[in-house]
Amino acid sequence: MNDLTILVVDDDPVIRRLLEQRLGKENYEVLLAEDGYVGNEILTKEHVDVVLTDLMMPGDIGGIEVLEFAKELERNIEVILITAHSSVDTAVEAMKKGASDYLQKPINFTELFLRLEKISTMRSIMRNAEDLRQAMDVTESAAAYTIQNLEMTAGTLQGKLDKIEDTLNNDKMDPETKVATSRDIMNNWS
Amino acid sequence: MLKITPAELKSVGKYIHDISGIYLDPSKSYLFETRLGSIAEEHGCASYADLHNKSKRDGSKRIERQIIDAISTNETLFFRDTGPFELLKNKLIPEMIDARAPKSPRLKTNVKIWSAASSTGQELYSVAMTIKELLGTQTDSYNFKLLGTDISDSAVKQASYGKYNKFEIERGLPRATLQKHFTLFGDSWKIKDEIRAMVNFRKLNLMLPFAGMGKFDIILCRNVAIYFTLQDRKKLFNKLADSLADDGFLIIGSTESLTGVCSRFAPQRHLRSIFYQKK
Repeated sequence: MNDLTILVVDDDPVIRRLLEQRLGKENYEVLLAEDGYVGNEILTKEHVDVVLTDLMMPGDIGGIEVLEFAKELERNIEVILITAHSSVDTAVEAMKKGASDYLQKPINFTELFLRLEKISTMRSIMRNAEDLRQAMDVTESAAAYTIQNLEMTAGTLQGKLDKIEDTLNNDKMDPETKVATSRDIMNNWS
Repeated sequence: MLKITPAELKSVGKYIHDISGIYLDPSKSYLFETRLGSIAEEHGCASYADLHNKSKRDGSKRIERQIIDAISTNETLFFRDTGPFELLKNKLIPEMIDARAPKSPRLKTNVKIWSAASSTGQELYSVAMTIKELLGTQTDSYNFKLLGTDISDSAVKQASYGKYNKFEIERGLPRATLQKHFTLFGDSWKIKDEIRAMVNFRKLNLMLPFAGMGKFDIILCRNVAIYFTLQDRKKLFNKLADSLADDGFLIIGSTESLTGVCSRFAPQRHLRSIFYQKK
């Protein structure tokens, strides 16, 4: 079971169809875009986990622009670039801008599935960590509430004890006044 | 993973306590194994006793540093519990600014703040951002000294660099704050120079004397004493009381308590948070 939605952005209809078939066979949900414009439009409308985009596409919106757009929209989105051998330097540049990975043409599907698997595993670990964190936050805030109340009560009682101690050690008071004053402190002072 | 023996649990546990003050429960042998196993392996040690000996003999203290890095917990995040930062913004910092108002208008107000276990820096940077949010462009007309200390070299190093990956950033940091105070750096974010310039980090073992640090106006010592024994906790808060100005404020972790630990502080409540002042 694969729970990732993948957006394929490529101007080559053959590659689009190939990716759709192969990814579909692995049970990934696949969305297709024939250029950067359509890709960005889909990104704003649909939930996408992974963008698989060609680096070089006709028009003003290439793979780098799709990457920037996707990251701006949703920081958690993973972007994998598909590059020709000659544009490896650009791909490395893209990694610096937040791309998760790049694949060289022709696409090696074993490699692609491996990367997707990694993303999927990473996501479920992150989700698990987030769940744990939330559970911890709930426990922590409940504990903090209890502890703070106890701390304030203990502080108040300690204050009373200190005052009573001072009273009992006060040589200028007679025993009866000491007892009466101590009782007053216990009952009234807070 | 290399297994630890009962005898090693005792001797290595004592060694860790000696070098860091951290008390590891000997009944939790997996804690020793998961944290020290790879270090033992890296140095070709056949046992934890072997690692212990190698570390003691290592004049460069490199292994000791590695052990401390592995043992100390760097669980931290920006604005961990919003309570203390609201407290700082709405009450403690404004009050301290008034209390430290200089006699001459030509002098600047000095306020010293210390994050005693600063880990990878998130807490102290959160304090710096809180000050910036509170004072805006006026920040420069005050003299804030923000110090962060931690026992782990690698934590101090990351804190000083001020760069955080997306996972560290995403926890606790509102997007608007992120964009205001950080610059995107590849897939990571780096704190802006104006915030970075407000803080300093250095290594400190809280178990050792605080020599030459002077007095602080506000001390944060959150979620670190929980790793110490009661006896060490008592010593620590006693030293913190010595390092705090008479009218200074102390903030501890939201689930920590000073009852039975240090009688020199009295708790005070403000909204959802507690802070301490010297009696």
